[in-house]
Amino acid sequence: MHRTRSVTAAPILIFLAACAHDSRNARPAESPGTGPEPAPAAAKPAPDAAQQQAPPQSAPGDSAPAVEAGKNQGGATVTPPPAAPPAPPSQPASAAPRARPPNQASSTHPPTTPAIPPASTIPPASTAAAAASQPSKATDAPSLDLNGLEQRLRDTRAIGVFTKLSLKNQVDGLLAQFKAFHQGQSRSTLAQLRQQYELLLVKVVTLLQDGDPALASTISASREALWGFLIDPKKFSAI
Amino acid sequence: MRARSIHILPALALLGSTGSVIAQGPSPGEDLKATIALHGFPCDRVVDSKRNADSDYTATCKDGNRYRVFVDATGRVVVKKL
Repeated sequence: MHRTRSVTAAPILIFLAACAHDSRNARPAESPGTGPEPAPAAAKPAPDAAQQQAPPQSAPGDSAPAVEAGKNQGGATVTPPPAAPPAPPSQPASAAPRARPPNQASSTHPPTTPAIPPASTIPPASTAAAAASQPSKATDAPSLDLNGLEQRLRDTRAIGVFTKLSLKNQVDGLLAQFKAFHQGQSRSTLAQLRQQYELLLVKVVTLLQDGDPALASTISASREALWGFLIDPKKFSAI
Repeated sequence: MRARSIHILPALALLGSTGSVIAQGPSPGEDLKATIALHGFPCDRVVDSKRNADSDYTATCKDGNRYRVFVDATGRVVVKKL
C-alpha cells in the first residue's frame, strides 16, 4: 500500500516542481524592471521596429535583436561563402588573388569564374582535383541555420529585454548602412562596415558568453558566414 | 516506506528550485546596466532602479550617475543621462 502510494506521489511531485519552475521563469522574462509589467511593454515596441525593417523579412518573428542576423538571411539554411570559395578550387590561378566578396567576383569574372565551363575545358587531372576539392569545401563550409540562431537569441535568458531591444536597434542601424552601401548611397567603406559589424558581434558575444556560452560560441563561429551574407548583394536583397 | 517517500519530497523540491534558478535571466539591474553600457555610458553596477512607467526606468549607477532608460515611440531604446 505504502509503496504504491509513494510511487504515485512521485510523478505528482515532479509535476508540481515543474509548475513552480515555469511560474518563476515567467516573471523575469517578462519584467526587465522591478514589476512584471515592463516586460510586455518593452516587448511591444520590438515588433514595431521590426515592421520598419519588416519588408526584407518573411520570417514570422521580427522582434529579437540578434534575430536580425537571421532576418537578413530570411531563408532557412544558408551555406556561408566565407572568402570567395567557389572560384578558387576550380581555377586556382585566376581566383587566388581575390579578396572581394563572392558576388563581386561573379560580376567581375562572369565568363571565366563559373565552375562548370572551366571544368569542361580543364584537363582531366585538374578536373579530378577540382572535383575532389569541391566536396571537401562543401563539408568544410559551416551551414548557417539562421532561423535556429534567431530563435535561440530570442529565447536566451542571458540577455534582458532592454538589452535585446538595444541590440536589435543597433543591428537595424547596421543593416540600414549595408542597404545604403549596396545601393551605392553610403559614404562608408566596406572596411568601415566590417569594423562596425565586428564591434556589434563582439557586443553580442560579450553579453552572451557568461549566460549562454553555447550560443556565444555559435555566433562567433558564424561570424564569417554572416559577413558573407551581408556583403553579398543578392543574398542581402533577398532578405 | 513512508520514510522513503518523505525523503523523496525534499529531493524533488530541490530539483525544481535549482532548475528555476538556472533558467532565470539577468536581474533588472543587470539588464539596465548592459543597456546603459551598450549606449556608451559608463556604469559599473546599477545600485538602484525606479520604474517610472512601462518600459521607462531611472537607474542609478554605483558611481552616482543617473540615467533614464526608456523605449520611445519608434521602439528604440533611449538612454538619457540625468
